[in-house]
Amino acid sequence: MLLNKAKHHTKKGFPTAKLSGVVLLLLAVIIASFWHLSLGAKNIDWLTIWQALTAYNPLDSDQAIIRESRQARLLVALVVGAALALAGVIMQAISSNPLADPGLLGINSGAAFFVVASVLFLPMFGPHYLPVFAFLGAAVATFIVMLLAGWEQNSERLVLAGVAVTAIFSAMTAILLLIDQQGLDKLRHWLTGAIGASDLVKLNLVYPYLIVAMICCFALVRSLNAFHLGARVAEGLGVNVLFLKISGLGLVVVLSGSVVAVAGPIGFVGLVIPHMARLLVRNNYIWLFLYSLLLGALLLIVSDIAARVIFSPYEINTGIITAFVGAPVFIALVLRKMK
Amino acid sequence: MNMLPAHFLRIKPFPRVVLHARSSDIAWLICFTILLLSVLLWGATTGSYQISLFKSWHIIFTPESEPDKLVRVIWEFRLPRLFAAALCGAALAIAGVILQSITRNALASPGLIGVEAGASATMLIFMVIIPEVIPALWLPVCAMLGGFFVAVCIWALSSRAGYSPIRLVLIGVGITSMLSAFSEMLITYGDIELVESALMWLGGSLHQVSWLQVEAMMIWFVVSGTLAWLCFRQLNLLVLGDKVAFSRGVDNRKVIPFLLLLSVVLTSSSVATAGTLTFVGLIAPHIARRFCSDRHGALIPLSALIGACLVVLGDTLGRTVFSPLQLPAGLVLVLVGAPYFIILMSRLRKT
Repeated sequence: MLLNKAKHHTKKGFPTAKLSGVVLLLLAVIIASFWHLSLGAKNIDWLTIWQALTAYNPLDSDQAIIRESRQARLLVALVVGAALALAGVIMQAISSNPLADPGLLGINSGAAFFVVASVLFLPMFGPHYLPVFAFLGAAVATFIVMLLAGWEQNSERLVLAGVAVTAIFSAMTAILLLIDQQGLDKLRHWLTGAIGASDLVKLNLVYPYLIVAMICCFALVRSLNAFHLGARVAEGLGVNVLFLKISGLGLVVVLSGSVVAVAGPIGFVGLVIPHMARLLVRNNYIWLFLYSLLLGALLLIVSDIAARVIFSPYEINTGIITAFVGAPVFIALVLRKMK
Repeated sequence: MNMLPAHFLRIKPFPRVVLHARSSDIAWLICFTILLLSVLLWGATTGSYQISLFKSWHIIFTPESEPDKLVRVIWEFRLPRLFAAALCGAALAIAGVILQSITRNALASPGLIGVEAGASATMLIFMVIIPEVIPALWLPVCAMLGGFFVAVCIWALSSRAGYSPIRLVLIGVGITSMLSAFSEMLITYGDIELVESALMWLGGSLHQVSWLQVEAMMIWFVVSGTLAWLCFRQLNLLVLGDKVAFSRGVDNRKVIPFLLLLSVVLTSSSVATAGTLTFVGLIAPHIARRFCSDRHGALIPLSALIGACLVVLGDTLGRTVFSPLQLPAGLVLVLVGAPYFIILMSRLRKT
């Protein structure tokens, strides 16, 4: 009955407000993208960017800069932001926990450890296997976190389990890097979440997985909406809760594993974005997913701009910026929710 | 748990002071003391220069009659390192017991109160951004101050709207991750040579410990460790819940900040000596709890002994297994301790 009611509610009027929100966000993403493309060692005006994107003339050096180097970075930022935000929404939904985030729970560092290990010790597997190793690591970390925290809805325990798992994996990564010092020099940028060091080749490796995972997210919308009312209600409405949780975790593993394979472990996007999205739309997961997707892309583009602008000739890794943005939000959440 | 009085021993350390102790607890304490001593002795014998057990015994107790070279190897290189390892392990283990009992959470660890992150960030600033401003001898002191500062910040933030252990821990997680982002920034952009030595220290490495540091550490440890042990009755009650403790005459508002201060002192002194040994404070109390459950009178000394054993073992393994290369003790401990910890925790959940 509840589901019927919900259906009725959504079908009642055309959701003008929500759709216009999506359009506005889309506009914001596009503006941010243009801004992102225009900034750099050489500032390029927006008209040239437009020409580079619509009528590309490879002889013009400015247009070549846009198409050859900056476009790749923008695409990586967009995809990474969107994927992490979706992973965060799913993680928070299935663990019924406002503090869940693939970075905070050690999933990213698990994936990072497996990637580092495979790069250093199994070089015979080509780059095509990189995402697979990342998925494997993410899955192992997820499994351990769930083992430690259990299914009970206890934020604090889940976060602490995540801290323990992060400690384990980052220490093991540190050992690997101490053993292989050349590896440290090669990988230390990647390890803090570097979008700049990434390129389209890496994105090409993971995008089939990402697209499938994102579509599957939208397939889970109805079960997630029901699950939001509580596990029992969801079961009453015919949702297989165990299947929902396992498939949700699988999606999180694929999404955050791909991100780690592309850009290294970037934390806190998955924590912050769902909360921002929830300020804009209530808990209807289809809108939550759409908004988070756009907001995540927006946040990552803006942090990437900040990462390049703050210490101008140098650039900071994007993962560090997101941590500086995300950690205060996390603290504010704790202060507000844990009364 | 059988509470038969036959298992109790009455100990009178001073006239008019009577301690009731279980004989099993005492037995375990003796066992682990012996274990610690033997691990220490083993650590003294092994290394890139092997010295036989008998010989090192002689060198330690009658150094006059032995050749100078061997005496130097043991007394100048190995013993300070071993003692520092034991003290750091013990200090972190006690800090871990305190935090796990205050927060009533099996997954709490000394790293969570921000001391380690604060100390590492400070250390990295002075090692990577402005090297050679502060002499190496004073670096640990700076690390300690940094750790203290961060711990105070976390405490202030979390008790702004009334104290709660959960909030303390979660805010610790937030601040720690912000600080580690900062440290990572320094690691990524610093000079690679400086970064490598800093990473060695961050991983919990004991290879540059001097007797001076051991003495300083000893003073901190003895003072705050004893104070912590004297609070065992309060800790026993706090485990049962803040309200129960309050009803039994434990003033939470005074006791908990005091205990937190003790754990900050213990953690920061060990961070200053040996860098971050993240895992000891988490795992040593759990091992100890298997032998004496939540009786803090025995739990505190027992986990101190176990923590000491763990770090000494980790350090000795770290410097011998990959022999020319020295792995920091903290990292060895994670490798060995992590699987054990995961199994332990998953087993705890089932009961």
